[in-house]
Amino acid sequence: MMKTKLGRLALDSPITVASGTFGMEYFEIMDVFDAPILPQDKLGAYICKTITPLPKAGNPPPRIYETECGMLNSIGLPNPGLQCFLDEELPILLEKLSIPLIVSFSGGSVDEFCMMLETLEKAEGIAGYEINVSCPNVENEGIAFGADSDVLYQLVSRLAPLTNKELIVKLSPNVTDIGRMAKAAEAGGASSISLINTLWGMAIDWQTGKARIPRKVCGYSGKGVKPVALALTYQAAQAVSLPILAMGGISCWQDALEFIYAGASAVAVGTSNFTDPGAPARIYDGLLEHLKAKGSGIKDLIGTVS
Amino acid sequence: MIWLKTLPIVHAQRLNAQYTVLTVEDKDLAAASHPGMFCELRAPNQEGRQFKPISIYGVEGTRLSFFIKSVGFGTDALCALQDGDTLEMMGPLGNKFPVFAGKKALLVSGGVGYPPLAWLKANLPDGTTVIHLHGGASSEDIFDCDISCTMDGSEGHQGLVTDLVLPLIQEHGINLIYSCGPVGMLKKLTELSGDIPHFVSMEAYMACGVGVCHGCVIPVGDGFQRVCKEGAVFDAKLIDWRQL
Ligand SMILES: Cc1cc2nc3c(=O)[nH]c(=O)nc-3n(C[C@H](O)[C@H](O)[C@H](O)COP(=O)(O)OP(=O)(O)OC[C@H]3O[C@@H](n4cnc5c(N)ncnc54)[C@H](O)[C@@H]3O)c2cc1C
Ligand SMILES: Cc1cc2nc3c(=O)[nH]c(=O)nc-3n(C[C@H](O)[C@H](O)[C@H](O)COP(=O)(O)O)c2cc1C
Ligand code: FES
Repeated sequence: MMKTKLGRLALDSPITVASGTFGMEYFEIMDVFDAPILPQDKLGAYICKTITPLPKAGNPPPRIYETECGMLNSIGLPNPGLQCFLDEELPILLEKLSIPLIVSFSGGSVDEFCMMLETLEKAEGIAGYEINVSCPNVENEGIAFGADSDVLYQLVSRLAPLTNKELIVKLSPNVTDIGRMAKAAEAGGASSISLINTLWGMAIDWQTGKARIPRKVCGYSGKGVKPVALALTYQAAQAVSLPILAMGGISCWQDALEFIYAGASAVAVGTSNFTDPGAPARIYDGLLEHLKAKGSGIKDLIGTVS
Repeated sequence: MIWLKTLPIVHAQRLNAQYTVLTVEDKDLAAASHPGMFCELRAPNQEGRQFKPISIYGVEGTRLSFFIKSVGFGTDALCALQDGDTLEMMGPLGNKFPVFAGKKALLVSGGVGYPPLAWLKANLPDGTTVIHLHGGASSEDIFDCDISCTMDGSEGHQGLVTDLVLPLIQEHGINLIYSCGPVGMLKKLTELSGDIPHFVSMEAYMACGVGVCHGCVIPVGDGFQRVCKEGAVFDAKLIDWRQL
């Protein structure tokens, strides 16, 4: 009932966790946390925080701000870099995970992306990749490739021949025509797409006139972005036949179901993890109960919005 | 252990228009809490909103209390809670103040930096000489302490707490400083503290509260450290204050 497919990957559950919102640090506290963190019997896959070729410290603080309906972040992809990921983090991930591991990565040039993929391909145990071309909080990595369909096509067409594993391209919502970007990913050889990464967002302290985040414009996620994410999921699903991993403001099973109707084959829970560490498990349970009552499987409902 | 609990409020004490002390009862949390630690709190009508980091203000037996200033939607909702209402909480989180025997300690707090230091004061090892210097905007911000300052002069010394620090250090032979408060105050205090060991409890916006999102960092050494995980208590001399 809950089984679904994301391109080359068969998933036991349509629920996953969004890159960067469910870091490995949860593994360290899993045993001391009195809530079902990482309920692997309920998650279809695990997507790690985006890694880059070299270590990154991330952006100066303050990095986050809670708004009326969601949050702003300018984390800036802090990560230990590819080598440390392979040496230190991957072994822990493989030891702890019984579900498919999807590695999110980004780079500053086509060659860097290719080098990352070639290196990761040599490691055992990775089920797929999420190419992050959509982080709004860094200058060089990511978004530079996610804003122009020709540039995106060039990148994906260089990456696709390098792997037989699942190749997800994570798209940015900050574009005029999402269908065009989805088509570029498809033409380049992606096996699925994910969306949305964070929207451009901003907050200003009206008392002082100062931007709440030093980079001023940053990434907006959480409840408030859901209608936008839903529309973009629908538009992307109309444009391509690739499966879609959708996210953006999902906080309950009803939200997840809406994304499936809009065209998602699987969904990811992001910002909601911070307001409710048990959210992915709760969403799974609710969705399963609903499907049982309805007598349908996920696959019957994907993209059937009327 | 980090617990995620929904607990009834056994006592909500309104101190004045801005400050409220909430007390809950839980033996696990009470036993695991130490001065310097905090909990992430949320009022029940704030579902879908983020938890707010609030220092543990004290533990008595199995009771745990929080001293909260209402400054925005999250803390307004917490301060509006009444006896019997429930409180969602995650904790205890963060590290604790390091303590040393036989010291002459100066505790400096500003505004809502009061609660962690008030609890620390009650828990310093026997034989510690301790002076708690506390400041705020007006008499509404002043609570039990040894020396108080207000900006408007409505209580205690008129001016900043940092105006009094050097004479106190000299007069009492202070050899340990603990602090919590606005960044401007902490920066100045770090300058004034010279070679004296100085431990500071820092504030930052938080999302996850448990070290996952890297949202709550402050500049420490040549990188960043998470207030919720490596802190909230830091060695003041390791913080790169220029970036704050
Ligand atoms: C470890 C730690 C311990 C704390 N202990 C206490 C405590 O014991 N009692 C208490 O009352 N408060 C404490 N705070 C501060 C408290 O968390 C914030 O006041 C609260 O998050 C504000 O949320 P809000 O939704 O009410 O306000 P918002 O609407 O988010 O903000 C209201 C105003 O407060 C300022 N502000 C909000 N959050 C912060 C922050 N984290 N750092 C600096 N400025 C901020 C904003 O600039 C804004 O102008 C602590 C913070 C930390 C990190
Ligand atoms: C704190 C934070 C960190 C994030 N880090 C990453 C990241 O490293 N890589 C990435 O592809 N997306 C990252 N994202 C974006 C999320 O994966 C997700 O696409 C977005 O937040 C929308 O989903 P949500 O509304 O459910 O959070 C991050 C989002 C947040 C809030
Ligand atoms: S609040 Fe998420 S790392 Fe500290």
